[in-house]
Amino acid sequence: MMTWNPYSAIWWGGEMYLEASIIGLRTMVQFSVKKLLLHKRWVIVAMLTLLVAGVMGYVATVSDADISTASNMMNLLMLTFLLPVLALIYGASMIRNEIDDRSIIQVITSPLDRRVAYLGYYISLAVVLSILLSIVTAVGGICFFLMNGWSDGAAELITAFIAVQVIGAIAYSALFLVMGVALKQPIYLGLVYVFVWEGYVGSLPGAIGEYTIRHQLQVIASGMLHDVNIASTGGDGGMAAIILVVLSIVFLALGASLFRDKEVM
Amino acid sequence: MTIIVQAQNISKWYGKVIGLNNFSITVESGITGIVGPNGAGKSTFFKLLTGNIKVNAGQLNVLGQQPWRNPAQLSQIGFCPDYDFLPGELNGREYLRFVGGLHGMNGPKLKGRIDEVLNVVGMTKDAERQMGGYSKGMRQRLKIAGSLLHDPRLLLLDEPLTGTDPVVRKELIDLIRDLNKMHGHDVIVSSHVLHEIERMTHMVALIYKGRAVASGDILEIRHLMSDHPHNILIEGMGMVDLAKVLVTKAFTVSVELNPDRRRLMVKVDQPEQFFDHIPLLVEESGCQLERVESLDDDLESVFRYLVGW
Repeated sequence: MMTWNPYSAIWWGGEMYLEASIIGLRTMVQFSVKKLLLHKRWVIVAMLTLLVAGVMGYVATVSDADISTASNMMNLLMLTFLLPVLALIYGASMIRNEIDDRSIIQVITSPLDRRVAYLGYYISLAVVLSILLSIVTAVGGICFFLMNGWSDGAAELITAFIAVQVIGAIAYSALFLVMGVALKQPIYLGLVYVFVWEGYVGSLPGAIGEYTIRHQLQVIASGMLHDVNIASTGGDGGMAAIILVVLSIVFLALGASLFRDKEVM
Repeated sequence: MTIIVQAQNISKWYGKVIGLNNFSITVESGITGIVGPNGAGKSTFFKLLTGNIKVNAGQLNVLGQQPWRNPAQLSQIGFCPDYDFLPGELNGREYLRFVGGLHGMNGPKLKGRIDEVLNVVGMTKDAERQMGGYSKGMRQRLKIAGSLLHDPRLLLLDEPLTGTDPVVRKELIDLIRDLNKMHGHDVIVSSHVLHEIERMTHMVALIYKGRAVASGDILEIRHLMSDHPHNILIEGMGMVDLAKVLVTKAFTVSVELNPDRRRLMVKVDQPEQFFDHIPLLVEESGCQLERVESLDDDLESVFRYLVGW
């Protein structure tokens, strides 16, 4: 029989209170979100936002530019480039950096189950990426339509892309976070995935090109918009969403398991 | 006496590097010092005790349980590592809130406990400052506060005195003693300086190249090495005057003054006498000490002397 006291004793007869796990998870999310948002990488994000705003504003002034142009540009800039690259920069380094600078010691020497802690990292990453990407997407879209004239469907297009970015953040976070736990240099495999697998293999004709997160996101985006087809992508948006959810859960479970069994030197 | 840690023939290797080699030790309640030079395996031992790594061979029990994949046990263990990991952007109180949250604590109880441990480590008035501006001694105190927050039964302090000046060192030694005497924590504390450990406890284990060389009462161990000369590095102001005083002392074998006149290497054949004489030496010479340290090489030579290698 274990003892109980108000501070150390979140244990009773060997079972951890659910409440203590929830407090631990909430703490992980609060502090990790703050850490990610305050990290100096926000300068890169701010510069990328300005770049996107400039490019979108410029393209909007080219003759014949319309809502399809906006859609294509948002697909190219946001979905194809910014989403995976930001997810890679933030996700692959999140836990890996803490292991390397050993600040992770506080988490792994607490009684919080490491799988719960991993979930905390994941939620924080997905939330922060969703916030940042939503801002960039909104800024880019608004710049385009301010320069091109606010047309019917503009708000719908921006909203759809924000929604897809959030779904993408959830999927890419799961993928890149697990790379950060499994590999010492996750950035290299991440770059291979983004630029070789998604960029090259994903553009090949036939079924092989569909085995990417980007393709599934484009299918979802196309399904959300009535008059716009993203990157000539057809398919069932609902099925694509299910595929991404299942993928995310698989990566999340794998990452949590690897993190629990990881020896931290 | 209650057995806190029982290690039987444990080994841990990292690839081709051996961290601990057939290491056995029994730690009873109270304060126990783990002494060994850098690279002896002290930190590996602590990582095994906290379940950060798993043993490759042997049996390890901490508070009656195996630590690997056993997060539940960490509610009874507080760990203060030897390296600096405190996030500079947080203030002391925010950091302790983070630690408390990870231990399932929140609300007024957590706030009250934070106030309590800040008081214990003497950091109450600096708790609202960002930790990036803390001195080494303040950071050590806060790390100890973090390890104390959940009121653990066992405290593991890995080299808590490293890099601190003599004044902070004394304060931390007093604090560690109080944590056992006044607050009832069992403490395992490591150091590569035997004299520091001696000021906290008489129960020590000597570890060298991953093996337990000797363990037991420090008086018996010190008796074995009392005639072995030690090299001691001293830094501060007025080193020339200190050197003049040192050469008159019977325990001094040699004194070597650095060209910058701020560093002094003194070899003594009775280290305990030297350390006992430090206040007198300061008074006689009028010097100001910033650092007094037994060198690793010296300790290694002591260990070689002890094991006959």
